[in-house]
Amino acid sequence: MREDPPHAVAEFERLRRSALVRQRTQAALGLLVFSVLLVVSFQRSQFFGADLGGDPLGRIGDFLDRMIPDLKPQALLEDRRTVGSLAWWFYDLPLWLKAGWQTVEMAILATILGAIAGVGASFLCARNLMPFAPLRFAVRRTLEAIRTLPDLIVAIILVAAFGVGPLPGVITLAISTMGSLGKLFSEINEEVDPRPLEALEAAGAGLWTKIRFGVIPQVLPNYASYVLIRLEGNLAGAAALGIVGAGGIGLELQRAITYTEFDTYLAILMLIVGMIFLLDLASEAIRHRLIGLGGEA
Amino acid sequence: MSAEIRARAAAIAPAALRASLPARAMRISLVVLALAAMVQMGRDLDLAPGALLKGVDKLGLFLGAMVPPSSGGQLTRILKALAETFAMAFAGTILAALAALPLGVIGAKTIVRNPALHFAFRRFLDLFRGVPALVWALILVSAFGLGPFGGVVALALADIPNLAKLFSEALENCDPKPGEGVRAAGASPLAVMRYALAPQVAPVMASQSLFFLEGNFRNAAVLGIVGAGGVGFELEERIRIFAFDQAAFIILLYMAGVALLDLGSRELRKRLA
Repeated sequence: MREDPPHAVAEFERLRRSALVRQRTQAALGLLVFSVLLVVSFQRSQFFGADLGGDPLGRIGDFLDRMIPDLKPQALLEDRRTVGSLAWWFYDLPLWLKAGWQTVEMAILATILGAIAGVGASFLCARNLMPFAPLRFAVRRTLEAIRTLPDLIVAIILVAAFGVGPLPGVITLAISTMGSLGKLFSEINEEVDPRPLEALEAAGAGLWTKIRFGVIPQVLPNYASYVLIRLEGNLAGAAALGIVGAGGIGLELQRAITYTEFDTYLAILMLIVGMIFLLDLASEAIRHRLIGLGGEA
Repeated sequence: MSAEIRARAAAIAPAALRASLPARAMRISLVVLALAAMVQMGRDLDLAPGALLKGVDKLGLFLGAMVPPSSGGQLTRILKALAETFAMAFAGTILAALAALPLGVIGAKTIVRNPALHFAFRRFLDLFRGVPALVWALILVSAFGLGPFGGVVALALADIPNLAKLFSEALENCDPKPGEGVRAAGASPLAVMRYALAPQVAPVMASQSLFFLEGNFRNAAVLGIVGAGGVGFELEERIRIFAFDQAAFIILLYMAGVALLDLGSRELRKRLA
């Protein structure tokens, strides 16, 4: 049964044309949806033509101008009573440093607590370790629900319940850390080499022994790396949560805004950015060492 | 059974099951030290068990008041706020992607070949990466007044350094061979970008932007709290007057919206990959 060559060519042309048409309508449809979304979004968010109170650029300039302190070069190193000195700009530095350290402590504690809970949850929902499927399913869905909850909303509710202070901040961050690390850890758990597990099972080991000697040695470096990344995120989160009353340096930031001390705001902001920057550098160095060690082994 | 095997294994290879004494002492003292540090941190932060119990009590009351969730007859208003939040997230992401594109090109090692310039630019972006959207929002709202405009710009400003970094990494990870081929055919640098780089990076960039859209939709609620409008504003209002049944309704609707967007964006990203 040989096919007629001209017929085959026509068939090919027909297929090619329909494929092209399909591709182009899909592209056009995608573009249409995208542009409609774009127009509606900018319109709904009143991006253009919003009443910005006239001369918005001038107001930004004004604002920036108020944020920059009036430092005087000749008085730069004087004490805090001299207007225009550095000490005058950072007039509450010891208090801010204390609040900043509090933020760091919040981030560390929340990361540790969240990571511990995340490890527990990850073993409960890893396919190769938890044979009971309904429990796996329940834990997985719970973690997903936690991940969709915005931190700040949790924080507002917890601040209402626990009062202003670091406690609601730590709990909020620990919960969201558990949600994200639990998922990442369970993915790591499912990718472990199954052979040590089989050997342990053959030797009659129970679930705990299997986890202790078969899984933990394999996953620990990866866990540590994720925990450190999360710690960086939690520090920024802890600083931001302070703004709704969850303690730490965010509270000072909020205070500076309420009293319209914009130069103080800039000073505290610089402290926060510097803090995050330092932690990023440290954690990056540690992570690279962890990965390096993992490669050598 | 298991204990017997363990004993035999210990007899054959003692080091396999039990670390040496100094190593164990070291490990135990490290754990003790870490625990002590944690307790000390808890003390610094006034994390007293009493306060925890009292708060849990109150939290139980709140959660009880959340059932059953109720729209309070304001379904349309809530849906509108949700749409506004999405609009802020979408507009903010688009602005951020547009601004991050040229920055990403400048930050790519393979395009700007001066290492000192590259280093300085990357560190400059790193500096701004630390500023969360909420902080930008506080600044912008006090500059522009209440309203979504400040929220959109705040989201965009928080995303730009992150997206620019990812974009420049995508550009650096490009296969150089198509570029060499296009150049060998006598193309201008612009044509090299259009025909060799863009087809490689466009899907990656689109998928990263989608990922940020998801994050922004989640974060846009944050902006309502500082006065930028949208669902966060509605929610904060309800929580402040302890209308927890309505708050729960908004939260559930919002979570459903987030899940829907995640699903759609995951589907789109799968197609792009």
